[in-house]
Amino acid sequence: MKEKEIIKLFTYMVTSARGCIDEPKIYGPFRLIDSISKLYSILKENNLIENEEVSKVIEKIEKKKYSCMTDKKEFVTMLDDIIDDFVTLFNFNK
Amino acid sequence: MRDSILDVIKKRRSIRKYKKDNVSKDLLLQLIEAAIWAPSGSNVQPWYFVIVNDANTIEQVNAFSPGLLGDPPSIILICSDRKKAFEKAGTLGRDELCVMDISMAAQNIMLSAEEIGLSTCPVKSFNKRAISKILNLPDYVSADLIISVGYSDEITSTPKRRSVKEVTFFNTWGGKIQ
Repeated sequence: MKEKEIIKLFTYMVTSARGCIDEPKIYGPFRLIDSISKLYSILKENNLIENEEVSKVIEKIEKKKYSCMTDKKEFVTMLDDIIDDFVTLFNFNK
Repeated sequence: MRDSILDVIKKRRSIRKYKKDNVSKDLLLQLIEAAIWAPSGSNVQPWYFVIVNDANTIEQVNAFSPGLLGDPPSIILICSDRKKAFEKAGTLGRDELCVMDISMAAQNIMLSAEEIGLSTCPVKSFNKRAISKILNLPDYVSADLIISVGYSDEITSTPKRRSVKEVTFFNTWGGKIQ
């Protein structure tokens, strides 16, 4: 795994943490969800994750993550929806 | 037939996914030409523009700019000289007019880009301290706004807008449109 990619993700997260002190509240959930996308990309590129269901969740995130800026309701619905997906995923993996 | 200015205004979208194609230096400078013709309080023209189109530098800026999305091939950092603004226009110039000036310059950049087939996104979510270090800005210059510039690789929808009727009054607050 390229260490630089991990450092980039850490940088994104810490810069986001600093930014979220002053930024609109909705940016916090967005940065968290965007961090999942970025982490997934790193894991995928390094063949460290191969779960089709997780891949579908990431697709949902990618499709709707920017709705936080235009349609908060749609963004919240997406979050609820992927939480349901993860509940299913946990049961599946038992 | 060329689009009217209102058509260009209505067509502009904030783009968060770019093609890899580079934007030529001439086009980027054309955007700065539009920027410097923005109105300026007390004619201070406090602005400076740092064009970043080197992939390595963009990567560094990107790392400290959570709001900079979609891997743009170029960015323009709009800075203001707050010291100059204060000397010429006092605290009003430093604290308020500067922000208005660079905002108007930014809009000129974004509309000019739209007119020539480029896409943009204004970005305020970046770490000023880190960006100032990376781009070697002097102490008296404030890094105010990043504009990503490139060729769009996304299909956008039309965002909702409050109507003219809802936001406009005639003569006094609450005065109806006749």
